[in-house]
Amino acid sequence: MRPMIVIGIPGDKRTSGIQEARSDLGMPPAIILSYPEFLQGRSLGDLMEEQNNGVDLSAAPPLLRLESPGSSFEVERALIALGAPDSDDIDDSLHPYADRPDPRPLRVKVARQLKDMQGVLHHPSQWFRGYCRMLARLQREAKTACPGSLWLNDPTDIAAMTDKRQTQQILSEAGIPIPRPVGEDQQPTDYASLREMMLSRRMHRVFIKLAFGSAASGVVAYQIHPVTGAEIALTTVGVENYITRPPIYYNSGKLRRYTDTATISGIINWIYQHGAYAEQWIPKAGLKGKAFDIRQLVVLREACHAIARVSPTPITNLHLRNQRMSLSEAGLAEPIQEQVRNTAVQALAAFPRSGVAGIDVLVSGGSQQCFVADVNPFGDLLYDVKYRGCSTYEWEMKVLSARDYITHPSTPLIKEGLS
Amino acid sequence: MTEVKLSIGYDEFEEGQRIGSEIEKLGSSSESASLTSLIIGDWGQAYENSSEEVVEALVTHSASFPALRKLFVGEMSYEECEISWITQSDLSPLLPAFPELQSLTIQGGNELSLSELKHDKLEELIIISGGLSKAVLEHIAASQLPNLRKLELYLGVEDYGFDGGLADLLPLIEVGKFPKLTYLGLKNSQIQDEIAAALANAPILDQLDTLDLSLGTLTDEGAELLLASDRIKGLKALNLSHHYMSDEMISRWQKSGLPVDVSDKQESDDEEDWRYPSITE
Repeated sequence: MRPMIVIGIPGDKRTSGIQEARSDLGMPPAIILSYPEFLQGRSLGDLMEEQNNGVDLSAAPPLLRLESPGSSFEVERALIALGAPDSDDIDDSLHPYADRPDPRPLRVKVARQLKDMQGVLHHPSQWFRGYCRMLARLQREAKTACPGSLWLNDPTDIAAMTDKRQTQQILSEAGIPIPRPVGEDQQPTDYASLREMMLSRRMHRVFIKLAFGSAASGVVAYQIHPVTGAEIALTTVGVENYITRPPIYYNSGKLRRYTDTATISGIINWIYQHGAYAEQWIPKAGLKGKAFDIRQLVVLREACHAIARVSPTPITNLHLRNQRMSLSEAGLAEPIQEQVRNTAVQALAAFPRSGVAGIDVLVSGGSQQCFVADVNPFGDLLYDVKYRGCSTYEWEMKVLSARDYITHPSTPLIKEGLS
Repeated sequence: MTEVKLSIGYDEFEEGQRIGSEIEKLGSSSESASLTSLIIGDWGQAYENSSEEVVEALVTHSASFPALRKLFVGEMSYEECEISWITQSDLSPLLPAFPELQSLTIQGGNELSLSELKHDKLEELIIISGGLSKAVLEHIAASQLPNLRKLELYLGVEDYGFDGGLADLLPLIEVGKFPKLTYLGLKNSQIQDEIAAALANAPILDQLDTLDLSLGTLTDEGAELLLASDRIKGLKALNLSHHYMSDEMISRWQKSGLPVDVSDKQESDDEEDWRYPSITE
């Protein structure tokens, strides 16, 4: 069995969850490498030497697992600094839209001085640039520090899954059903072109998403009244306005409802400056006046844990205030559940170098068709949900330990000769 | 009871499907004769197209639905259309077309009219809206619904079309207006305290089983008057859920022994303005 190396935040819910699962299953603990230390400049090789406790990694090259950067501000700030124009590392090879300039970029020194302000979206596009540079560095260093190692989710795929423009492009090319984008060939570039396209295409209700957010960050459910021209934006983006400097945008825990053009256009233009993806708002299936979407976990081509996120608002993935239910409790018939699972498995298969992801699947209210809204490379932190008696981490470790990784974990079972 | 819901989704509407032909199709099917409940959902981009086509088709084919007792026009969620953007029309032609109808539920107040509100057998009238117009309140005040047992009005707010005031509601609570009324809901209102004050000692309470003042902006001010009233003691249910009452007031209600629902306390905006980090998964 290959040893597992996790690059994550030591002691957080994710790394602890993995260690607990391994210990419960009688597996040797994973080697945890500190994400913050790696970002501070320690090399992957150094960190491995320090942490591996004498495990001979050359005998069985390890399985590498990158974790979510989490909500650590220290990590966020380091990534924004890494994405700066004057950063030492300017390897943008994994950035799907590397040539698009980031608005008002912050220099390294300024980025390092950013203050932790709860919920503030400091600089999403520069964050993502830094994130892609870090992924590229991980990929590079892993090749030399542990030859033969294998990524559970390859950094190239993680970059693509973290950029919604790229995710939806890949899914669409793979023939996976996705909500129709606003503008097939050319997406809008700002508030004015978005409205123009919505009206000319008669797509009056859309979701606009910050290309690289998660947990409902930078998501706007937006609609235009075609007759009166009135508009409504439902979003968690809050705005603080100042006279002498640009507004600050933050994630509000309260869903906001804006109807004034000044605020709406401000938010939408800001999202577009950083990078946005807009798609048709598919009326989601619901239960007693609430709508839901589904987080379906897929581990090595098998759909496992699933929850329905039921919300009284269109933004179902806002973590608080939403109920979580099993798919049956949400009233989904078994054939539809099967369709959800199949859709999710196919969606992950569009990323051939990745073995684990949480797929967000929408089921449309009327026709009960499935659409993939998002692919989350770290979408396995799900509490209180079991699959065949296992938590998400237990299930993953079990499935991984049952395999001998001759090839990448996501390649079809048949080639590995295991059932 | 047999129930059918007809709805035209966004894509279906774009592809040319129409609610009128769906109603016609249902009317010519074998189940129409025994259908007791019909729900009309989205009739196709209801923020742009009014329910006029629904009314016309139902009137034209009313003979195909002899058993119909319950009708809902506009059952759709915010996933399909904002309630305050649903475009209704004059629904009163439905009443003579279905003389056996017992229950009518309408969702959406925009362009809603009930110009000739007369029906001998109607027992329930429910209007769900983000803002009910003064004109509709006048239609209800002028109605002839001798058999009405339940009247439930979501009054809403000024921004979404509530342009009336307490004076427009008073005719509805006069004794004798609806002699058989047992359920009165004047709810989802921005003047919930005023309504509570007007009802606290209103003679109509004596005939009611249920008073529903839920989903509005009820505060201690209105609650105090209700709690002090002897007339509310005869109620079998008093629904005040979704309110802005203080904890102390909630506890007084709970100790009162009255069959009251004081759940779903709302917090003021400031307390809800907490923030969360973007990357948490």
